[in-house]
Amino acid sequence: MDMKMNMSGTLRTTLIIGSILFFVFIINMVRTKKLELKYALIWLLTSLSFIIMSVFPETVFLVARLLEVEVPANALFLCIIFLLLLMVFALTVAVSRHADRIKKLTQELALLKAELEDKNKT
Amino acid sequence: MRGNKDTDNIKTLIIIPAYNESENLPKLFEALKKAGGDFDIIVINDCSKDNTEAICRENNIKVVSLPVNLGIGGAVQTGYRYALYHDYDIAIQLDGDGQHDPKFIPYLIKRIKEGNHLCIGSRFIENEGYQSSKIRRIGIRYFSRLIKLLTGTLITDPTSGFRACSREVIKLFANDYPKDYPEPETVVTVLRNKLKVIEMPVIMNAREGGKSSITNLKGIYYMIKVTLAIMIASISEKSVIEED
Repeated sequence: MDMKMNMSGTLRTTLIIGSILFFVFIINMVRTKKLELKYALIWLLTSLSFIIMSVFPETVFLVARLLEVEVPANALFLCIIFLLLLMVFALTVAVSRHADRIKKLTQELALLKAELEDKNKT
Repeated sequence: MRGNKDTDNIKTLIIIPAYNESENLPKLFEALKKAGGDFDIIVINDCSKDNTEAICRENNIKVVSLPVNLGIGGAVQTGYRYALYHDYDIAIQLDGDGQHDPKFIPYLIKRIKEGNHLCIGSRFIENEGYQSSKIRRIGIRYFSRLIKLLTGTLITDPTSGFRACSREVIKLFANDYPKDYPEPETVVTVLRNKLKVIEMPVIMNAREGGKSSITNLKGIYYMIKVTLAIMIASISEKSVIEED
C-alpha cells in the first residue's frame, strides 16, 4: 500500500481539479441541451468516478487487489479500456442505426418532392 | 411517359440511377425510345454536381432527386420504393452510363412475365461485347464461384447492374437493399428467399463517359467487402415479403 506515496501532492491536486472541471463541463453540456441525457448518464458516471479516484486513490488499489492485478495503474488502464470499448461499440451501433434512418428519410423525401411536383404540374 | 398499355396490363418501370451522368443520359434516352415496349422511366439523380436533373427535364423524363448523396445502393433502392408505391409489376435496373443497351429490355420483361423473379443480363453467357478488364473478370468469376458454393446456383455475372425484377423482388429490395456494391449480395438474398433467378445473355458497351465507381485502389477493399456481404447474406434471416 506504500505505492500511493509515489503520487505527489501536485499531481493529486491537478487530478482532483481536472476531474471536477470535467464534471462541471458535462453538467453544463446537459444543461444547455448539447448532450442528450441518454448519453450524458454514462459521462456523468465516468466523471464522478474520476473524482472519486483522484480524491481517494485507495479505491484504485482496492480494485487492483480485487482483480488480482499487481500494478494498480494496469488495473486502471484495464477498466478504462474496457469502458472505452463498450462506449465505442455503442456508438457504432448508434451510427449504423442513424445511417439507416437518414437513408430512409432521404429516399422518402425525394419521392415526396417528385410526387408534389407532379401534382403541381397537372 | 406512359404509352399504350399492354393488353395484359403489366406495368413496367425502368430505374436509372445517375450520378453526374449528363454526358451519357441524352444518348441513353434516345436508345430507350428506340427500344420500344411499354414502360415508364425514372431517373434517380443521386445528388449529382452536374446538370443531370435539367437534362432529364429537358427530355421529359421523370426524375427523383435525392437531397443528399446516398451512393448507388441508396439511389437504386429509391427506384424500387417508387415502383412499390406506384404498384409496378416489373422493375428494370439500368445504369446511367450507357453500358447497358436498352434494346434488351423487351427480352428481360419477357423473362419476368414467364414467371421468373429476377433476370440478370449477363455478359458471360455468350461472351460478346465488352467483357471488362482481365482483372475484373477474375474478380467476377470468383464471386460467381462463391455464390455457387453458398447457394448452389450458378450466376455467371453477379456484378451486372442490368436486371429485371418481379413484384416479389421489388418488395424485397424496397425494404432492404445494401448501401454500396449491392449487386452480388442482393442476388444471394433473392436466392435465399427461394425466388427464381435466371440469366439472359446481353451485350454491354464500354463506358462512354464518366468514371466507374470502382477504381483500382478500391479494388481490394471491394473484394473483401463484397465477399463478407455475400457470406452474411447467405446466413441472413429470410425476409418476410408475403405480408399484404
